[in-house]
Amino acid sequence: MSNRTFLKALRKNGNALAGAAGVGIILCLGLFAPLIAPFPAGYTIEVLQPPSTSHFFGTDKLGLDVFAQIIWGARTSLQVSLIAVAVSGFIGIPLGLVSGYFNGKAGAAIDLAIEVFLTLPVLALMIVAAAALGASITAVAVLIGLFAWPSLARVCRNTTLKVSQTSYIEAAKCSGLPVASILFKHILANIIGPVIVNLTMAMAGAILSESGLSFLGLGDPATWSWGLILKKAWEAGAVLASPNPWWWWLFPSLFIMIYVVSFNLLGNGINDALNPKGQ
Amino acid sequence: MDSIMEVVNLHKQFEIKTGLLTKAKINAVDGVSFNLVAGETLGVVGESGSGKSTLGRTILKLTNADSGKVIYKGEDLVPLTSKQMKRHRSQLQMIFQDPYASLNPRLKVGTSISEPMLANNPSLGRDEAKRSAIELLELVGLSPQMYNLYPHEFSGGQRQRISIARAIAPKPSIIVCDEAVSALDVSVQAQMLNLFNELKEKLSLTYIFIGHDLSVIKYISDRILVMYLGQVVELAPTDAIFGSKMHPYTQALVSAVPEPNATKRQSKRIILEGDIPSPGSVPKGCQFASRCFMKMKMCMEAAPNLTEVEEGHLVRCHHHARLKKAAQDVPNG
Ligand SMILES: Nc1ncnc2c1ncn2[C@@H]1O[C@H](COP(=O)(O)OP(=O)(O)OP(=O)(O)O)[C@@H](O)[C@H]1O
Ligand SMILES: [Mg+2]
Repeated sequence: MSNRTFLKALRKNGNALAGAAGVGIILCLGLFAPLIAPFPAGYTIEVLQPPSTSHFFGTDKLGLDVFAQIIWGARTSLQVSLIAVAVSGFIGIPLGLVSGYFNGKAGAAIDLAIEVFLTLPVLALMIVAAAALGASITAVAVLIGLFAWPSLARVCRNTTLKVSQTSYIEAAKCSGLPVASILFKHILANIIGPVIVNLTMAMAGAILSESGLSFLGLGDPATWSWGLILKKAWEAGAVLASPNPWWWWLFPSLFIMIYVVSFNLLGNGINDALNPKGQ
Repeated sequence: MDSIMEVVNLHKQFEIKTGLLTKAKINAVDGVSFNLVAGETLGVVGESGSGKSTLGRTILKLTNADSGKVIYKGEDLVPLTSKQMKRHRSQLQMIFQDPYASLNPRLKVGTSISEPMLANNPSLGRDEAKRSAIELLELVGLSPQMYNLYPHEFSGGQRQRISIARAIAPKPSIIVCDEAVSALDVSVQAQMLNLFNELKEKLSLTYIFIGHDLSVIKYISDRILVMYLGQVVELAPTDAIFGSKMHPYTQALVSAVPEPNATKRQSKRIILEGDIPSPGSVPKGCQFASRCFMKMKMCMEAAPNLTEVEEGHLVRCHHHARLKKAAQDVPNG
């Protein structure tokens, strides 16, 4: 399929458009956070204010603006998931390509490793590792990436197995091209669709992990993240209190959801656009 | 007759799953030997599954042979590593059947053609490669403007021309054409066959031309190699195959070719009966016996050898002496 027909199919897909819009908004918020609101720090006397025109999402127990926390949290979310996805890509793509292309003993060994990693209790291991590594955004992000590659590697392997059989790859071998350029130029270009779908979905998965770790206090306490906001709200008893400062826990939850749903919709949309029905 | 390549007792087995836990080995290429003469077109025919493609791919080292020799320029290619193979890689090229699968859809056709040149000759500059690629496009009958287009913008015949340009780009001496015209319309096939002949003259190429359409093979080949279940059953000059063809299997194949002039048709169409032996349970006698209309007791018991019955005419059949006599009695038979 050509790029043009792909873009056309993507534009016709309502879900993909909604996903892209969500991703776009979060991207803008994260990118322009310093221009939109100052980094929330210290304390003010305006504690636990409900949403108003001066504080869109209200304030927390220290009187800090929740909207500002959300925006800076978006920045963290993007940083963490991009780093995690990059780490996952650096490991998963080459392993998948190699195991699919050399489908002999080496391929089988890598395949076994993928299967083993897929059955690991990822969350438990991540908690242990995060506790051991200490809390910095980068450490958390790299950690998430280190656990995210197996599904990507499997997608790469399965698609590479198919593409490797094609005549144009046989022809490339005949041409005497180095293996690296067969793998990373000829094959990768033809499996890039499923890879992008997987990476897009992994953006969503990464933020679920990051939020979970932050909520458990294993995130970076010096940087705002949506999980950290939830953690603070939970520790202050805000979730169960009455009268309830609902804005404090509802908005970060909503944003986690929007983030996850947007990236999943976009991923699904790309997938549908790449595989139109009836093909 | 200078030999450009010698294939000696080549074997290639595949393991296939026949059940949940059972496996069978099939002899895709089973002791094939032949000489390839410089400048000839050697046609390879046989039913689907007879091992034609595997033979071609093994010769080019796209898959590794289990045993045997492929001697090219005095060197056996079979044991070479892919690094050692580099010095011969550009010489041995392949053209594939499906024009829709043989070009990378993500590469401009110009890139597909110039890439093999650059890979084999890094000192060649990008501009020079581009210039040569455009020359090649013209040589195969396409226009230079097509350099920047993607494969999906071309018809099947045009794509096959691009594949040919890509194959001749590294200046090969031997090209394996695996059903290279089978997927094309009959009208396009004729043009392509002429192109193949033209390029062979201009570039002094040698072809191994795999096909199942005997009229195509007859037109293009100097000699024909007939395969059955991975073995050579007959190897002879084209005239001999269509004249004094000998092996019963070849007779059956040839009888199935429609004669353009119905009155000239002399032999009746031979319909083969019986089953092809299933892979994994190869009979101990002649592999063709189960379907052969001439089979006798000895055929079920001993496998015949490939025997030279005339100069340059090899047949694998117990009855070759009888066959030869029959062919001589009917000179134009
Ligand atoms: N990669 C493979 N793995 C397992 N079996 C294979 C493989 N490639 C070929 N075979 C088997 O080897 C035998 C010969 O196949 P091959 O493709 O060489 O035949 P062919 O003469 O080219 O047939 P066709 O006319 O259909 O192209 C067949 O039984 C086929 O199923
Ligand atoms: Mg074949």
